[in-house]
Amino acid sequence: MMPSTATAPATRVVVPAPKRRRRRANPTAAILLILLAVLMLAPFIWTALSVTKPTDVAFANPPVLSGYTPTLEAFKNLWETTYFAEYLVNTAVVAVISTVVALVLGIPAAYALSRFPGYVSAILLLLALVFRSLPRFAVVLPMYDISRALGIYDTNFALAAALVAINQPFSIWLLRNFFAEIPKELDEAAMIDGCTRWGTLRRIMIPLMRPGILTAGVFVFLFAFQEYLTALVLTDTASKTVPVFITTQLGQTLPMLQQAGAAAMLLTLPVIAISFIAQKYLVAGLSDGSVKG
Amino acid sequence: MRRREFASFIGPSLLVMVGLLVLPLIRTVQWSFQEVNYGQAGTFIGLSNYTQALGDPRFGRAVFFTLLLTAIVTALILVVGYLVAIGVNGLGKLRPYILGSMLVAYVLPGVVGAVSFSWLFNSNFGGVLNLVIERLTGQELLWFTDTWPNRVMIIAHTVWHLLPFSVLMILAGLQGVPKELREAARIDGANALKMHLWVIIPTMRGIIGFVCLITIMDVLRTFDSLIPLSPQADAIGNESIMFYVFDNAFRDGSQQLGLGSAVNVLSILLILICLFPFIRDLLKEAKAKA
Repeated sequence: MMPSTATAPATRVVVPAPKRRRRRANPTAAILLILLAVLMLAPFIWTALSVTKPTDVAFANPPVLSGYTPTLEAFKNLWETTYFAEYLVNTAVVAVISTVVALVLGIPAAYALSRFPGYVSAILLLLALVFRSLPRFAVVLPMYDISRALGIYDTNFALAAALVAINQPFSIWLLRNFFAEIPKELDEAAMIDGCTRWGTLRRIMIPLMRPGILTAGVFVFLFAFQEYLTALVLTDTASKTVPVFITTQLGQTLPMLQQAGAAAMLLTLPVIAISFIAQKYLVAGLSDGSVKG
Repeated sequence: MRRREFASFIGPSLLVMVGLLVLPLIRTVQWSFQEVNYGQAGTFIGLSNYTQALGDPRFGRAVFFTLLLTAIVTALILVVGYLVAIGVNGLGKLRPYILGSMLVAYVLPGVVGAVSFSWLFNSNFGGVLNLVIERLTGQELLWFTDTWPNRVMIIAHTVWHLLPFSVLMILAGLQGVPKELREAARIDGANALKMHLWVIIPTMRGIIGFVCLITIMDVLRTFDSLIPLSPQADAIGNESIMFYVFDNAFRDGSQQLGLGSAVNVLSILLILICLFPFIRDLLKEAKAKA
């Protein structure tokens, strides 16, 4: 499937799209799936309920389900008594920087891998796969040691650099599959018209690749936003991220637990918004390229 | 593409990966043969760290638990993920809402999802699922201190967290199954089951393999979720390999960096063994293309 039929090579015969058969969804299946979706959301809904209860009934056993006045006290507490705002900024800054850098480094590399024939590509891809599966601690503990020696321990920079490297193999792999779908004739045409390789990438490939780049960007952003282990090891107080903050609140007092829940909600809401907006592009993007065998 | 162009395109990315992945990895291998502390040069002690790890029953338990979790979760993810993807694919207008709701579990930071999940089961924090299950079965299960109830909860959490990814991938793959193929099979009299078994699944072999691969990788390195879900992981035999490394090599008071590194090297070997079939397939494919 091509991202856009307007750019299909001339040899392609244009067939009118067959009329989509309107199939009525199977009602039993639909109901089961709705139930499943609700079940998948249950932990999230339950946490939302817990953090909007007054502290004295928030974690009561058996749970109190009615007869209380919902309150946003936990959010207020979170904002006023902890450094949550700072942690949120750290998390966002690290996620954005590492996504941008990962794409800037990954796009040319993935393009080259998709165009350079033969063994080199295959072996590099295999290495990327193996590196993706490494136990995190095998690279993060040495990073901890090195970052202390260099004096960059507990900085956003160190964490972002670590995440770029850790996510690089996956980004390259995903992007490479998208590039592989774009016919090589297009590069040749552009170069005959006087584009350099870089020009071809910038003027022809990147515009064509927009859904693919978006897909890879969303994945890398989410990985960075979610990362717990790396942040736990490479940060202390100054560049602590929200996931690390949330676990430090566990096992403390009930108000602190509620703050953890509130922090979880605040971290989740933007991510949910992204996933709802992006899911259409994700399915389209993924079926366009990445996963054809 | 010429060699020099290739090098200039791939150079920056390669530099970052060599500097921040390969070099640290080499350091881990070095450490695994040393008695060493952070910030200091270590002393070579041969294979002691390895013999210590392999002789530690706690490490054996961690390996067993991690492999058990990986096997069960991967099987569940593939079967349930495929069925759900088929269901979602058949949905009309509802589809984006269902898919969006399900994706939430995947995009939540692992640790956050695990905290929320643990609250559903924790009687100390007014959990609701433990109560429902208690009413239904008439017995009180100790979700956090008994080995098997805790395992069931960890398995449920891991499936909950990873299922959306497989649904998304398989759904994307279903879009690539040519309509002609399905129609031809239907004309040849294939029923729904046969259609899936002999037509759709074989055409999606690549994707299903990919989902399997990613799931195995992700479950083998389970770590974050155990912090809220299994506070006494070691005592009840539900500790993962990564948790064992963390406890030995990083947590305050027990910085056995050499031992932790040796376990890291051992788990790399374990992962390579688990991934061997996929690696072999990829190499074969590469050879065919070369």
